[in-house]
Amino acid sequence: MEATLTDTPRSTLIGFSRDAVEELSRRKAEPDWVLRARLAAWDLYESMPMPVRTDEEWRRTDLRGLKLDRQIPFAGLERRGVGLADLLPAGEGGLDPDVHRAGAVVQRDAATVHAEVDPALAAQGVVFADLDTAVREHPELVRRFFMTEAVPVGFGKLEALHAAFWQGGTFLYVPKGVRVELPFRAFAVATEPGASLFAHTLVVLEEGAEAFVVDAYRSETQERQAFTSGVVELILRRDAKLRYVQVQEWGRHVWSFLTERAVLADDATLNSLHVSLGSKFAKNSIGAHLRGENSLAEMLGIFFADGDQFMDHHTWQLHESPFATSDLEFKGALKGKARSVYSGMIKVEEGAQKTDAYQQNRNLVLSPTARADSIPNLEIAANDVRCTHGATVSQVEEEHLFYLQARGIERSEAQKLIVEGFFRPVIDRIPVAEIQDFLQAAIAHKVGI
Amino acid sequence: MSETTATTTAAPMFEIENLHANIEDKEILKGVNLTIRKGEIHAMMGPNGSGKSTLAYVLAGHPSYEVTEGVIRFNGEDILEMAPDERARKGVFLAFQYPTVIPGVSMANFLRMAVTSVRNARADAAAADGGEAKRMAPREFRRLMREKMALLKMDDSFATRYLNEGFSGGEKKRAEILQMALLEPSMAILDETDSGLDIDALRVVSEGVNALAGPEMGILLITHYQRLLDHIKPDRVHIMMDGRIVQSAGPELALELEAHGYEGLRARFAPDLSPVVAAERA
Repeated sequence: MEATLTDTPRSTLIGFSRDAVEELSRRKAEPDWVLRARLAAWDLYESMPMPVRTDEEWRRTDLRGLKLDRQIPFAGLERRGVGLADLLPAGEGGLDPDVHRAGAVVQRDAATVHAEVDPALAAQGVVFADLDTAVREHPELVRRFFMTEAVPVGFGKLEALHAAFWQGGTFLYVPKGVRVELPFRAFAVATEPGASLFAHTLVVLEEGAEAFVVDAYRSETQERQAFTSGVVELILRRDAKLRYVQVQEWGRHVWSFLTERAVLADDATLNSLHVSLGSKFAKNSIGAHLRGENSLAEMLGIFFADGDQFMDHHTWQLHESPFATSDLEFKGALKGKARSVYSGMIKVEEGAQKTDAYQQNRNLVLSPTARADSIPNLEIAANDVRCTHGATVSQVEEEHLFYLQARGIERSEAQKLIVEGFFRPVIDRIPVAEIQDFLQAAIAHKVGI
Repeated sequence: MSETTATTTAAPMFEIENLHANIEDKEILKGVNLTIRKGEIHAMMGPNGSGKSTLAYVLAGHPSYEVTEGVIRFNGEDILEMAPDERARKGVFLAFQYPTVIPGVSMANFLRMAVTSVRNARADAAAADGGEAKRMAPREFRRLMREKMALLKMDDSFATRYLNEGFSGGEKKRAEILQMALLEPSMAILDETDSGLDIDALRVVSEGVNALAGPEMGILLITHYQRLLDHIKPDRVHIMMDGRIVQSAGPELALELEAHGYEGLRARFAPDLSPVVAAERA
């Protein structure tokens, strides 16, 4: 089949296959080493079994509704960018694309439609680009870091599928000692009905580098089921500092899988926030390897499920060196018939003495038909550590509603105030006004749905 | 049963007739009758468990209490079917004995929402009556809040704290009176606002209440002790026992109570309820 400039994927490909991998790579006119890497990943995918419910991580996850063989592996490859404002219309509750930034990359379906970076930063050796561009212009960096260190290709079956079909994607490389204050913004927007989307974020901060990255995933709700499998790799060298924020607002037709791993060297600091609002089904595996001494990972999460949404968060605080600190707080609210699972693991390896690990998951259940499960876990092989964890599932207290109502505040407004207050301590930990305002509005919107 | 006609001719504001109320099928109020007119301060005294706080909750519309009989009218309107927020917007205010802690909700945000909803409802009601609708601007709210906080000797940092979280007993009670000052209710029910206050805090809170009291406002003070009444002078004092008002009189009744204790009053006004009398009879 010839590469063509017309956009006709719907008629050509249904389901994932070796042919589809080759077709994708050919249409993207990729170098041979990329195609070979994709095919190797495909072979790995085929050799691995699908997760089953006897696997601990999948025990509470029902995949029966997902029809992988009916998914379109990619779509919209040839689409070109228009203005950023056309791609991301303001006023729909999404993050504002016009905000001050160090750079922006917009992926729409399988294609990158917009990419920009502050030229002053580029002059200092900062690379911020879509992955296709990075493959062409910085192959040595991509070969070294892409699915090798943080989330290796063989991590799991869905990660191998991702490695075979990744599209678009964002690559940030900050050289030694360069500090960037403004956020790098990455958007992944899905529009093609039934098309899969494999967004990838690869961040590498060299020694002493600092950056702030915001990932936003969005789509309008559609009839036809869609599948997305994202991978986020955050690599922090010695004394690097990264603030990472991720906002998931997929439409209600999306089955979303996400695997994220951060790797922290000595004295590195990660501050992350994960916000899950959209999708029909979301399964997120979020972890930090505290590989270096004195490293610090602050991991925050906010999720809010309504209707028949299912959200599943697995977190991993992996202490592999002494004197490291991890501080995790995930908070969720549920309405309607929504269900959530939170499962958190603090794992302290032998020799990781003086570890200080904290893990907290609180859930607020707003309807009698919603359900939250919380499973905290500890696995400690060192003997001089401090690890604490806590989990709660609670409801809005009638006494709180009465108190607010007795001050003239309507019951629905009172409920909104209480839910916002529930999330407030987490919101207050993100010292970025734009993110705080966004979260406040998103939560108020969710309560009011 | 024993409410006497007030000396003024002011219109009745709160009219409670034969009020019976249950919680979880247990009858707590067993026929309360009480009329409070504009400008009047009434004190409700009585031993623990007599139903004073239940009366306060029922008047404010707490959903856990079921009114089984009787009427509550506010400015001539039956309010029994009204939700608590609707009653509050009509001008009823309850200062809680145990104010609730609501984490994550800042005092300033909460106060702005409360003041906006109550004052705007009042402005809309005034406009409906052909008056001028004066909705409150944000700047005006901030000015008003600072002014009332100064009146109650409250620190500025208070506004940024979460609602009642980490407040001392005295701070909580002061915060209740601050809310009352901002909402300007026409009928205030103060449920044991004096409990847990030291002498200085009691004076500040009492001064706050006295500054708000006036000819347009009715106040119902629920208290165990005479000492609050040294600071806020009631027009009428009622004694509640076992879910009923057993005696109503002028301020001298509180002094009598101080002298003889509840047991003495019980023997005089409700001998059926007195274990002492019962023992003597036996």
